[in-house]
Amino acid sequence: MDTQFLVSLSIIIASFALYIGIAIYNKAKETSDFYVAGRGISPFSNGMAIAADWMSAASFIGMAGTIMLLGYDGLAYIMGWTGGYLLLTFLLAPQLRKYGRYTVPEFIGDRYESHTARVIAALCTIIISFVYSIGQLSGSGVVIGRLLEVDAKVGTMIGVVLIAFYAAFGGMKGITWTQVAQYVILIIAYLIPVVFMSLQLTGNPIPWLSYGKIVGQFQELDQQLGISQYAEPFLKGSKWQFLALMFTLMAGTAGLPHVIVRFYTVSTMKAARWSGAWALLFIGLLYLSAPAYAAFSRFILIKNVVGQKISELPAWTEKWINTGKLQIADANGDGILQWQEMVISNDIVVMATPEIANLGMFVIGLVAAGAMAAALSTAGGLMIAISSSFAHDIYYRILRPNASEQNRLLVARISIVTATVLAGLVALNPPGVITQIVAWAFAIAASTFFPALVLGVWWKRSNAAGAIAGMLVGLAVSLGYILAAKYGGFSIAGIVDTGAGIFGAVAAMLANVVVSFMTKEPSQSVQEEVYDLRYPEQMTYKDGQVWMR
Amino acid sequence: MKQIDKKVADAYFRERVRLIVIFLIIWFIVSFGIVMFAESFKNMTFNSFPFHYFMGAQGAVATFIILLFINAKVSDNIDKKYGISEEKNEQLSAGKALDH
Repeated sequence: MDTQFLVSLSIIIASFALYIGIAIYNKAKETSDFYVAGRGISPFSNGMAIAADWMSAASFIGMAGTIMLLGYDGLAYIMGWTGGYLLLTFLLAPQLRKYGRYTVPEFIGDRYESHTARVIAALCTIIISFVYSIGQLSGSGVVIGRLLEVDAKVGTMIGVVLIAFYAAFGGMKGITWTQVAQYVILIIAYLIPVVFMSLQLTGNPIPWLSYGKIVGQFQELDQQLGISQYAEPFLKGSKWQFLALMFTLMAGTAGLPHVIVRFYTVSTMKAARWSGAWALLFIGLLYLSAPAYAAFSRFILIKNVVGQKISELPAWTEKWINTGKLQIADANGDGILQWQEMVISNDIVVMATPEIANLGMFVIGLVAAGAMAAALSTAGGLMIAISSSFAHDIYYRILRPNASEQNRLLVARISIVTATVLAGLVALNPPGVITQIVAWAFAIAASTFFPALVLGVWWKRSNAAGAIAGMLVGLAVSLGYILAAKYGGFSIAGIVDTGAGIFGAVAAMLANVVVSFMTKEPSQSVQEEVYDLRYPEQMTYKDGQVWMR
Repeated sequence: MKQIDKKVADAYFRERVRLIVIFLIIWFIVSFGIVMFAESFKNMTFNSFPFHYFMGAQGAVATFIILLFINAKVSDNIDKKYGISEEKNEQLSAGKALDH
């Protein structure tokens, strides 16, 4: 056990104590003024909570590494994961807020007046959140593995226990303020290394302004090393793959059940619009920094590590080789490390960079705490989405309508623990890197919920049969494409598994429209309810007339 | 509760939709549009970045954030113009969904 381990561990424990303290404090306060709380959280705080809920291990740990390895092609993640907030805030959030239900399956079940649609939506929520949480667990495995200097698999198992415990006991209530704290910690942890690297390399502390110079220098450096050009577009995938991935991430964002739920915690449609704006500003702080992180890390690796004698590599390399996420092989036997001889996993770049850049123990520990905050806050949201879909929408609404409150709570807890353990088992041998696994969750959300929600809100003619057909077709097409592309080598226009959402979303949209037209239109009251979503809360649509309160 | 002319309500909806359509067109151009023609921008530079890289890493995201804030602000003004009071809205929606 070295000092680094102790420093990292104490920062992580201190941050955990903070989250638990906040959860306990808010729980006590909420019972006293329960009804006032119904008036809502301010859009500013809700923006931070959305940002923490949203920014997962994929954003924190995986994204900068993905960009570093893919160059320009990795920017699809940056634009995709931010651009989706426009679809969400313009097309869905205010309207869903006015409709006022608790969960996404509940909206779908009531809007389409169908228990079948409700069950399918609940199953989709479970599938999406499950796939997504595989990425989170695999991410916490990387962090814990590095911290304890053990294999990432062992780290994942420890992560499973932590997250199952956290979500089952801590995550039920008062989660908003915990997430606000998690946002503050994760953004500080992300910005400090970037600012210091920027200062070290360019003399300018503002990374967003300074790293352009570094990107500009890559052209020459890459040529000297004979590696692929960093800023050259579409070297690692086709242009259609880039566009399809970007679409998948955008539409998936607008259909993610655990993020939509956060828009129900504000008071009005107006507050929902402001929440969306604040959320993207807070998210943007990290997303604008990720490409800077990537550029600085790549620059340091090229300048300080590549070209060194393999026997004299810095100490941090050995620690990462122990986790199994960094491999160094002297392919040509000259004793000198070439860029091509280093296999660096996307998922360790952010975690390793503070060490690579010699930023000191405190920063390394802080980054570990930030990564855990990102993984925990998202895993907490996901596990609650899984348990409410199962315990509320399926078990209570369909299977046992007269189950007692206690019984339902027990089922909710059991489903959280089961889901975490199952996801952990898959994460032991992750079928891809974190960003890729998470992109599959987005492909499924883009293919099932996005069409059902957008049509449900904007097209009153869409009916139950259409929604059911749409969700099933979307699920089948996106899952089928992911499997065929990943394991069967199948592709259309060079689009690989991560871009599957474009096919699923289009197929689901068509299926919904065609089947809706072929079957009976929805009831008069539902059509009026949908029409009513055009107007602010004060206006009500009834029998072809508009009333104002 | 008093009845209002449906034309007024529809005018409100049209203004909001027009705004959304304009914003989504800009959204499409700065993301999909630039990517579509990325090769033709790569010799232009902006703040020492190749332009297509700048748009992907910073330009598009900054535009998205600005659009969301403009939308929130302009929508508030539209609400004001049609006499919508936020306090009344809060009362009406209270209890329709609670904290999670």
